[in-house]
Amino acid sequence: MAANEILESLTRCIERGKVNAKSPHPPDMKGQDGADELARKALDAGISPQDVLSKSMVVAMERVGIRFRNKEIFVPDVLMAAKAMSAAMEHLKPFFKTDALKHRGTIVMGTVQGDLHDIGKKIVAMVIEGAGWQVVDLGTDVSAEKFLNAVDQNPGCAVGLSALLTTTMVNMETTVKKVKGNHPGTKIIIGGAPVTPDFATKIGADGYSADPQGAVEFLNTRCLQG
Amino acid sequence: MWKPTLDNAHVFSPPLSELRIDPSALGRVLGYKGGETPEVVNTFIDGVLPEVPDRVAIQCGFRILPTRSVAISDDSFSCDGISFSSGSIIAKQLTQSNTLALFLATIGPKLEEWSKDLMADGDMLRAYIVDAIASETVEQVAEWLENKIGEHAGGQGWKITNRYSPGYCGWSVAEQHKLFSLLPAGFCGVSLTESALMIPIKSVSGIVGLGPDVKRGAYQCSICDLKDCFRRTDEPVAALDEP
Repeated sequence: MAANEILESLTRCIERGKVNAKSPHPPDMKGQDGADELARKALDAGISPQDVLSKSMVVAMERVGIRFRNKEIFVPDVLMAAKAMSAAMEHLKPFFKTDALKHRGTIVMGTVQGDLHDIGKKIVAMVIEGAGWQVVDLGTDVSAEKFLNAVDQNPGCAVGLSALLTTTMVNMETTVKKVKGNHPGTKIIIGGAPVTPDFATKIGADGYSADPQGAVEFLNTRCLQG
Repeated sequence: MWKPTLDNAHVFSPPLSELRIDPSALGRVLGYKGGETPEVVNTFIDGVLPEVPDRVAIQCGFRILPTRSVAISDDSFSCDGISFSSGSIIAKQLTQSNTLALFLATIGPKLEEWSKDLMADGDMLRAYIVDAIASETVEQVAEWLENKIGEHAGGQGWKITNRYSPGYCGWSVAEQHKLFSLLPAGFCGVSLTESALMIPIKSVSGIVGLGPDVKRGAYQCSICDLKDCFRRTDEPVAALDEP
C-alpha cells in the first residue's frame, strides 16, 4: 500500500469510527484494518509521525467536527471517531516524549466552580486533542485559583471554560479576571448551553464557540505560537 | 415562618415498568431526530438498558398549594408570599390556574455515577449513552408525576397545565432556591447546591398549574427560548385537553 493510500485509509477509519480490525463497526468495513493497524503501518512504511498526525488524523477529526456542526452526524458518531483517533494516537505517543512530534499547543480546560457537568466539556476536549492540541483537563467545579495554577504550570497555554448553568456562568468572569490579571496574554474561550458571544465579550473572554470545531478553529487561528 | 412538612405533600416511588422508556426516544435524545439511529448505537443502548433497573432509585412527589396563597401576574407568580420571576412565557400558560403544584422527581445518583466511572475508564460512548438514558428516565418520571397530578386535579373536576421548570422558558434556574423553600426539607432525597444544581443531578423540579379552565398541550418546545435543548422537537403541537 502506498503512503498516500495508507494515510487516506487512516483518515477514513477515523472519520467512520473504525477503531481496529476486530471492531464490528461500521458494518461495511468489517474485517478491514482500523485506525490502530493503519497508524502502525504508516509509521512502519516510513511516513513521519508529523505527517501521520497532520495529513491524516487531524484532517479526519476536522471533517468530523464540521459534519457535527452541520448536524450531519451526532455526538455518538463524534465519540466513535475520537475513539479511533485515540487508537491511532497511541502509536504516536512515544514521539511526543522524544520531541520528534510536537503538539500545536496546550489548552487548560475545565468546568467552572459550582458546576458539575462534565460530558460536554470532555467531548470538546476529545475533538481538540484530535486537532493536535494537548489538553490539560482540570475536571469540574474548578476554582479560579486552580485555573490560574494550571496556567502557571503551562506557560503560553490557552484556557477553555465550560458552564451549563446561568448560576455558574458568572464564575467564568471571576476566572477570566484571575487568569488575565496574572497572565494578560492568555487567550480564553468559553462555551456551554447558557453562554453567548455577547457574554464572552462582556466578561473579557477572547472567544466563544457553540461547538467543538469552533474551539479548534479558535485555537488554530488565535493561539498558535511560534 | 411556616415550614411545609411531609403531611401536606404526596410522595411516590413508581416502578420502572410504569415509565415509558422508548428506545426510539433515546435515539432522539442522542441527536438522531427523525433519522435512523446507527445499529452500533442501538447495540450500546440495548447493552445498557438491562442494567438500568438496578441503578435507579425513583422518588417523586408534589405539593398542592392552598388556592388562597397563589397569585399569577403577566410575568411572575407568587406562592405563600414568595414571588417567582418566571417570565411571561410561563406566566401566560399559568394564567387560568386556580392553584399550583410544586413537584420534584429524581432517579437517584447511581446512573450518573456509572457514567462517571465509564468516562474515567475512557469508555466515552457508553458513558454518554448512560447519561442520555438517565436524562430520559428522569424526564419520564416527571411525565408520570405530571399525570399523577392530573389525576389529583381530576378528582375535583380540574385540569392541569404542562409542567414548567426553573432554567427553561426564561425562568432563571437560581429560583430553584425559592421553589425548594416551599417543599419539605430533604423532599425525595434531593438537595440543592449554592449554584442551584440539584443533587442527584438527574432530578427535575418545577410547577404545574391546576384549575377548571387550564390547558395541557403536547411538549411545547415552540414556546421555549432554549434553542439547544436536548429534548427540543419540531414536531407539531396539539392540545391534549382539547376534544
